[in-house]
Amino acid sequence: MKEMLFKLFVAVSFAALLFGADAPRKVFPYAYTQEDLPNGLRVVTVPTDFPNIVATYIVVQTGSRNEVESGHTGFAHLFEHLMSRGTEKYPPEHYDAILKQIGASSNAFTTDDFTCYHTTFSKEDLETVLAMEADRFQTLKYAEPEFKTETLAVLGEYNKNSASPFLKLNEQIADTAFERHTYKHTTMGFLKDIQDMPNQYEYSLRFFDRYYRPEYTTIIVVGDVKPKAVRELVDKYWGAWKHGTYQPEIPREPVQDAPRTSHVDWPTPTLPILTISYKVPAYTDTAKDTAALEALSFLAFSPTSELYQKLVIQEQKVDQLSANNPFNVDPNLFGILARVKKPGDMDYVREQILSTVKTLRDTPVDAARLDAVRKHLRYQLALTMDNSDTIANILSRYVALRRSPDTIDKLYAQLAQLTPADIQAAATKYLIENGRTIVTLTGPGSAK
Amino acid sequence: MTRRFVQRFLRSRLGNRAATKRSGALGALLFLLTALPALAQMRVISLPSRSPLVTLRIVFIAGSASDPQDKPGTAYLTAMMLGRAGTKDLTYRQVVDAMFPMASSVNVQVDKEMVTFSGATHTDNLEAYYKLLRAMLLDPGWRADDFQRVKDDAINFLRVNLRANNDEELGKEVLEQETFQGTPYQHYSAGTASSLQKITLDDVQQFYRMHYSQANLYLGIAGGYPQPFLERVKKDFRSLPEGGGFRPRENPLALIRQNRAVIVDKDTRSVAFSLGFPTLGMRSSPDYAALLVANSYLGQHRSSNGRLFDRMREKRGLNYGDYSYIEYFPRGMFQFEPSPNLARHFQTFQIWIRPVEPPTAKFALRLALYELDKLCREGIPEEGFEHTRDFLSKYVNILTSTKTAELGYAIDSLYYGIPNYNQYLKMHLEKLTRDDVNRAIKRYLRPDRLVIVAVSKNGEDLKKQLASDAVSPMTYNSPKPAEITEEDKVVEKFPLHLAAGEVRVEPVDQVFE
Repeated sequence: MKEMLFKLFVAVSFAALLFGADAPRKVFPYAYTQEDLPNGLRVVTVPTDFPNIVATYIVVQTGSRNEVESGHTGFAHLFEHLMSRGTEKYPPEHYDAILKQIGASSNAFTTDDFTCYHTTFSKEDLETVLAMEADRFQTLKYAEPEFKTETLAVLGEYNKNSASPFLKLNEQIADTAFERHTYKHTTMGFLKDIQDMPNQYEYSLRFFDRYYRPEYTTIIVVGDVKPKAVRELVDKYWGAWKHGTYQPEIPREPVQDAPRTSHVDWPTPTLPILTISYKVPAYTDTAKDTAALEALSFLAFSPTSELYQKLVIQEQKVDQLSANNPFNVDPNLFGILARVKKPGDMDYVREQILSTVKTLRDTPVDAARLDAVRKHLRYQLALTMDNSDTIANILSRYVALRRSPDTIDKLYAQLAQLTPADIQAAATKYLIENGRTIVTLTGPGSAK
Repeated sequence: MTRRFVQRFLRSRLGNRAATKRSGALGALLFLLTALPALAQMRVISLPSRSPLVTLRIVFIAGSASDPQDKPGTAYLTAMMLGRAGTKDLTYRQVVDAMFPMASSVNVQVDKEMVTFSGATHTDNLEAYYKLLRAMLLDPGWRADDFQRVKDDAINFLRVNLRANNDEELGKEVLEQETFQGTPYQHYSAGTASSLQKITLDDVQQFYRMHYSQANLYLGIAGGYPQPFLERVKKDFRSLPEGGGFRPRENPLALIRQNRAVIVDKDTRSVAFSLGFPTLGMRSSPDYAALLVANSYLGQHRSSNGRLFDRMREKRGLNYGDYSYIEYFPRGMFQFEPSPNLARHFQTFQIWIRPVEPPTAKFALRLALYELDKLCREGIPEEGFEHTRDFLSKYVNILTSTKTAELGYAIDSLYYGIPNYNQYLKMHLEKLTRDDVNRAIKRYLRPDRLVIVAVSKNGEDLKKQLASDAVSPMTYNSPKPAEITEEDKVVEKFPLHLAAGEVRVEPVDQVFE
């Protein structure tokens, strides 16, 4: 008990330091260990003061980006499903029964760049979870009939997503903005490839053999744990996993040399949606690009921005306005999205956004507002880290990029050093007409 | 008055004999409902810790069940005028600007009974954040331009986000509307588009004066706040009128006498189903833990452990997932754990069938009903009982592992008149037997007298299919074990008991309009 109180006190004092007058150092406030096994597997362990609960997030650096062969999009995501199809030692019923018995919450998700398998459970079940996970990552075994059934669940997932216009819109944006890079398809994959998945059993075995390897994988363990005990269990159950040899050749995207546009006709009534995307560089924590574009997205398009106040609050022509700066392994799209209340206002809203972008290129932003954004981002991170599961979740997204929590502090250090001139430089370099893709979506009867 | 409401509700749903038989549960309900007016003061739930964060959950019993009968949506717009609008001294822009550097905000959730304003902030910013929150809830600005914006947002939410873009949530909300016909629960908590249009700023101000009272207030705070701060908060909220507590209107619930279906007709790829009926198996019921085990066994939310998931998705690949519920669970497609502060005096039992390919729609519906029927007839197997009980005993820790969830559950427990949720559930689970679960299944669940909602294109075609006894054979893209193909022969002709007159097709643009 004494020890716990002391730790909590340290956490409080440290957190106070983060935001106080003293120069901020680290935004990720937890001490952690990061170790590599001889086979290339990496383990990151983060003990926290939240009692009893442990979260494991196993990151495989394979996402839809890795789907380099045509006709086989969606396979990274398919594996998120297939991984629950069992092994000889733990057939699916047995695997599910154990997870049920230990009261675990378990799931997985796939992105452009990685697939993540996560489980949250009580601390006494750590060995059970690490042993079962090790088994399925190394000896996954599924027969063709089960494979075919699981591909239908993937189609079911596509179907449930398809009611929203955003699936179609995202497909169209990716398809228009990219020519060669695998970011041309969404993580779900092309519908025709999903429909053909049942016929691709052999290919699935190859995909697993390529990517489900220790050098692609990082195990993140966060919660009521001790790093030494975690390491011993990982050595015991994951030590024999064999390093692979495959390295994908991800096609390079040629430089875009003209603006692009495209349109989606949505069959049912919806408010018109306008998206304006720009090609921006890959995630970096050693240069200012990612930090500058992140700050810019808040400065120009968050609810406190001039544009949001004008379009959403005062003129009330738009009911949603947001921007997203990508954190990706390869160059991807900085996206601005506006949902417009009346189709007739689409041109006006587009001009307003383009004019805001031009102002970002022409004029330095207000230094006080940049400070507010910096504060916002630091507090936002602190506020989300209120339990072991979300800490592990946040880490998984950074580990997928650099295999280390260290990159969080590096990125926030870049953010701390930003000046209004850096924001202007990023806008001038990346938010340019030749890198731009505009995609619109309207319902029946709307003007395009 | 309140006593009569509950008795009528029960009588209409269960018949007189049943209502008498369930006098235990009825007694508990009456106590809660009648006790409130006597306690004309706020309830405070505080969970102090040494965290650098402070979490607030401020709940008013001012939900949509309190809407004026002819103006559904008043509670919703009132809540939005507090949580998404300016204060007496600050415009909404000034509020948003002030909150931005703290990365804090105020989240608003409106349900039938509870309206929740929640947020978290770092202790560095506690004073500044609270000053804004206090002004938003106690000194609202009531500006006409804010009102126009929140009204537009509400209408667009109904017409676009719900009706046009989310077939699954649409199906669930239409089911709620259908199962609670004739009661204050009937209308969607955000009202209807036409009603929202006619609500005035005076209406919401009047609603605020009537329902935002100390008697209706549950004030929750957790984290690293100093004690004097809490005292100040309490003092501030004592400026609200004392009020008289929650009194639902008297309306009998229409009895569901036989299976009936509503098909929401819209241009969409696949068919989403939700089906169910009202129940009284709420948290304060002595049967709650037993019913929770039965439900978790059948269809634990977003888990591969439920029977429905296993038989429908895992074994047959019909769709992305299939689950069941004994409490209202909105936004289930976006979250794994339920949001707290959706406490209600009446709940529904629901089955959620995620979108299926149109040719398999009738088979999927039959299979879900077949599984429900099997559970009702055979009860829970011994192994299923033990595993599910063990699962829930531990899973409850995950449900309450964040401060905001812990606080939310504590508020709900106080509302339901039960102890700390974790301890309460674990205590009941420990003593639970398989027979208890089977008794609860018999008492609360049923395979008939259901409302079935489908969201589908070609509504008239689906109506014809559902109203016919024709077999709906299933074909697969891979060989299936004999156990499945044999079972399919039963499922493909499992009776839906749906007469054509009991299937209604409703164009999507009329829903919540």
